[in-house]
Amino acid sequence: MASKRMKKGVAKEAVTTVVVMRLYIAGRAPNSVKAIANLEAICRQHLKDAFKLEIVDVCEHPQRALDDGVLVTPSLAKLSPTPSANLIGNLSDTSSVLAALGVAQMAPAR
Amino acid sequence: MIDAPESTDPLLAPDKAAAAFKAWLRRLVTDTAELEAFDAGEIDAVMDRNSVSALLLPEAQTALHDSNRIVFSALDALPGEVCVVDTMGIVVMTNKAWRVSGAAHARAGLDVRAGENIFDACLDAPESERAHANAVGIGLRKILTGMQKSLRFRYVCPSPRGRSVFTLTMAAISAQGPVNTLLTREWHSEHEQTKARGIATVARAGVENRLLAALPAKDYAQLASGLESVTLTHGEVIYEPGEPMREVYFPNNCLVSLLTLVEDHRALEVGLVGREGMIGARLALGAAKSSVRALVQGTGTAMKMNAKRFLREFRRSPALQRVLLQFTDRLMVQISQTAACNHFHLVEARLARSLLMTAERMRSAEFHLTHEFLAVMLGVRRVGVTMAASALQRRGFIRYRRGNITILDQQGLETACCPCYRHLQVMNAEAR
Repeated sequence: MASKRMKKGVAKEAVTTVVVMRLYIAGRAPNSVKAIANLEAICRQHLKDAFKLEIVDVCEHPQRALDDGVLVTPSLAKLSPTPSANLIGNLSDTSSVLAALGVAQMAPAR
Repeated sequence: MIDAPESTDPLLAPDKAAAAFKAWLRRLVTDTAELEAFDAGEIDAVMDRNSVSALLLPEAQTALHDSNRIVFSALDALPGEVCVVDTMGIVVMTNKAWRVSGAAHARAGLDVRAGENIFDACLDAPESERAHANAVGIGLRKILTGMQKSLRFRYVCPSPRGRSVFTLTMAAISAQGPVNTLLTREWHSEHEQTKARGIATVARAGVENRLLAALPAKDYAQLASGLESVTLTHGEVIYEPGEPMREVYFPNNCLVSLLTLVEDHRALEVGLVGREGMIGARLALGAAKSSVRALVQGTGTAMKMNAKRFLREFRRSPALQRVLLQFTDRLMVQISQTAACNHFHLVEARLARSLLMTAERMRSAEFHLTHEFLAVMLGVRRVGVTMAASALQRRGFIRYRRGNITILDQQGLETACCPCYRHLQVMNAEAR
């Protein structure tokens, strides 16, 4: 699977900070598929359009994962805003994902 | 660094090896959070810094293998014939349809199997399909080197029933890194082949007219929709002098006399048209009215066409123009020769010529011509015809009974006829 870049425009509402993330996955392996689905659901619900997500397939680009210090996949890296954070696993625990992304305090958008 | 267990391929190894491999992978992971996720079964792969690759956990490998199996079984379920080759030309996979049809066609036409090299198959192709195989080999190299994205080939190869034809499509499989190529094979059924090969022959069934047959298939197809098969019977008048020609006719097996009228009642045959020509060619020369009486002499079929449509087709088709000009030239030669013949030669010789020309156009040694008709053809009285016919019969060249004529001795009749017949034959042969 090629690495794909999902860019979304910044919403005009109160949310002005754009969360930039990178998700490392291993092809169509089960946990990787789950991680993508979970993360996209969380982003849609809590971040609206205020996020940028890049997905890196480590089967295709192993060197990139190693360069970024990623050892296991699926692995989510929050790059901005600071502080940066890392999350391992299939991202099924929404609250820990929100905490890592620093959006836990925000009221969930309907 | 920790050494990997002996068998690191859990697909080939029993569960124990898979467990050992997983345990070994776990030892590569050091971070607490990563270990937790690992134990929770939320990890798919661990990076190996030495080989710069992702090592998939046994569960992930099984799942990927299963998803591949779904892809493979989906390909097998396809009715189309599919084959994938890698950058070296080695066949990675073929689907069921490909294998089945390969067996059905006695493995003709680059029928490669998984693991075989398609370039080798191209080189080893039998002599009869060498040219096609070479083209495929060259095309495949273009795709593998990125010069082409996709190519189509028409491939002809021998088969138990004569020959088989298929279309081979090659397409680069777009992915980063090395280029794989997808080949699909589409056989053309015997029916389609005959259809493609013989559109003209199928459409021309029942059309014996030589002018129509001389047209290229495309021009004939244009004309065909305006043609209608009709039967012309003996004694039928198609045109009268001075009357407009509303239709043209391409005789198949009928015979039409062109008669010039003198004093409105005495007629003389100046031309004879059968399957080698057409009635109404004068239209093409710009005339709208007939100059002669066109009288059906031998019953048979002809292809009829509306005069307007004919003129439209004539203007449009250079091939039709060429064919008609050639015919008009032959007709002019025939008419001038007949005119001279009628003046100089004896009735017996002219009768012999007339019978030979009729037999030739009717493609039959037996036909029906009455005394009256022959008298008109030759421009003599009935008595003259009776005497001449009796003379030929006495010499054993023909049998003549109540208008039914049978040519018994073709060569003998040729010796009896005037040189005009031979002359016309030579002219026709040259024109063809």
